[in-house]
Amino acid sequence: MSMANGAPSLVVVEQLQVQFFGGAHPVRAVDGVSFDIAEGETVALVGESGCGKSVTAMALAKLVPQPPGHYAGGRVLFGGRDVLAMSERELRALRGREISYIFQEPGSALNPVFTIGYQIEEAIRLHRPEADSRAEALELMRLVGIPEPEQRLRAYPHALSGGQQQRVMIAMAIACRPKLLVADEPTTALDVTIQAQILDLLRDLQKRLGMAMLLITHNLGLVAETAHRVNVMYAGRLVESGATPDVLTSPRHPYTRALLEAVPRLEGAEGRLKAIEGNVPNPAELPAGCKFHPRCPYARERCRVGEPDWEFAATEARGVRCFFWKEISA
Amino acid sequence: MLAVEDLRVYYGKAQHPVRAVDGVSFSLRRGESLGLVGESGCGKSTLGRALLRLEPIHAGRVLLDGVDMVRLRGAQLKAFRGRAQMIFQDPYGSLNPRHSIGGMLREAVAAHGRTTRENRDERVADLLRAVGLDPSYTRRYPHEFSGGQRQRLGLARSLAVEPELIIADEPVSALDVSVQVQILNLLKDLQQQLNLALLFIAHDLAVVRYVCSRILVMYLGKVVESAPAPALFAHTRHPYSEALLSAVPDVAKGLAARAGGAQQRIVLHGDMPSPAHTIPGCPFHPRCHRARPRCQTEVPALRELAPGHCSACHFAEEL
Repeated sequence: MSMANGAPSLVVVEQLQVQFFGGAHPVRAVDGVSFDIAEGETVALVGESGCGKSVTAMALAKLVPQPPGHYAGGRVLFGGRDVLAMSERELRALRGREISYIFQEPGSALNPVFTIGYQIEEAIRLHRPEADSRAEALELMRLVGIPEPEQRLRAYPHALSGGQQQRVMIAMAIACRPKLLVADEPTTALDVTIQAQILDLLRDLQKRLGMAMLLITHNLGLVAETAHRVNVMYAGRLVESGATPDVLTSPRHPYTRALLEAVPRLEGAEGRLKAIEGNVPNPAELPAGCKFHPRCPYARERCRVGEPDWEFAATEARGVRCFFWKEISA
Repeated sequence: MLAVEDLRVYYGKAQHPVRAVDGVSFSLRRGESLGLVGESGCGKSTLGRALLRLEPIHAGRVLLDGVDMVRLRGAQLKAFRGRAQMIFQDPYGSLNPRHSIGGMLREAVAAHGRTTRENRDERVADLLRAVGLDPSYTRRYPHEFSGGQRQRLGLARSLAVEPELIIADEPVSALDVSVQVQILNLLKDLQQQLNLALLFIAHDLAVVRYVCSRILVMYLGKVVESAPAPALFAHTRHPYSEALLSAVPDVAKGLAARAGGAQQRIVLHGDMPSPAHTIPGCPFHPRCHRARPRCQTEVPALRELAPGHCSACHFAEEL
């Protein structure tokens, strides 16, 4: 059972470890990540480039290519079934039918030499050969709000704007009414007014179809507006998790706190923003101890030597990975 | 210092031109930072590039201390370009991967011509320090640096010629959130220390708010609203700026909406039309949530509603 809303857990990730081989040492892209998603719930995975959020999302349908990737430990349960132990055949049935993905660049995910209609129909035929794919494609185009859907089905991807391409991707993703939609930076490449349209569409579809959504983003504003719960990642690890209002109003981890202070806002004091010193660490060269300590204003000797454990308080459904979180948030 | 008068950049055939920049006027003082905001295709980047004569100018004047640079040629144009520098969104794309950092900066310092050969290395070290990098980095190559450091290098190179005007085109939108702020603060500090005029081009209103004292909002090649930054955020006077502001995902707004339930977001319909077709009436009316019959026929003029606050909307007073 999920802690958040009493709905049963759809996805449970336990101590997931994903490594990449290539250089002298394996790169631990995801190192001991645990979280869950309830049916119909929106969960956000937040972090900066290289923090492992996209790799975690890919692992939910065992999509990390092997090699160079390697599932080094942990489990992913989808509806109680162990995804990482599934056969290719079982995975094919899972992907697209129960979990679907939309990505940042809709233009590069569509095939330029086939019409929009062909590509949506293909998504339907693949999983439900019995369906009237032409009629359903038209229905999907209407559902995602594309104007003049009959003409658009005959168009090629280049003839559509970025916002419309993303609507087509969403149409393909929901063609089989998946239980989970993974949206990896779905609006980052779009203009703000189009971004607002796509977010409204996703929220509306989610309500109507009862899908769960995993939203991968670096934008805390987006998290505040869409997610029920949020998981913050840094250097392949979870550093904080909890209900969105709790995490964003009283952050416990110094990184979450710093991120919130660094986000330019529309209201409040102008003047200087508080910068986080240093750079996002390279996953191949992580520091010893707590991975955030070189950039942390609260770091002490203990942080340089040992790595803090993931402390999860089931009563308040919040997790944090910091030795001194109680002092810091007091 | 800089005065732009009715600047027009057209592409394509003379009968049906694509009006990328369609009659933009503004001025910029020394030490002032002006934000240019709008969505992709609104002409903001074209405008920035046109100011350096990197785009064909159809009509209009760009006066730098009274001299019209649209008419400059040869050596005079080169001298002008030394006074105005540009930094870009993708710092990696604007750095030559085969030039060491020292070589690149020495070349820029030499092009400036005001530093003697012996003093060049010293000047390069000063530049690196000014942008917060270690002077020992001169032997390294661009690939050895992170995105934020590369943007610092781009900034160091543009400062090498001691410009008076910097045009920054989306300088932080390719960077991670935690690094963005470092670059924004650096840009702000340098602008104040060196008394630079800064034209900051961005699509993110929240970012612009921290850097700029005045903001121009562009739509389809035209300025639809211009105002001092605090005035724009306190009271927008154009429906497009209003929609842009309400569309920006914001932590405080999101949490408030969650607590109160109701979302007050204005969602615009459709996409921005192509600048290749001219629309009768107000260019924004097909997407405007406040459009009325008059907007379909009559083009609104940019007019001043409060000191320094201009809007191109027939019904600006009602907002």
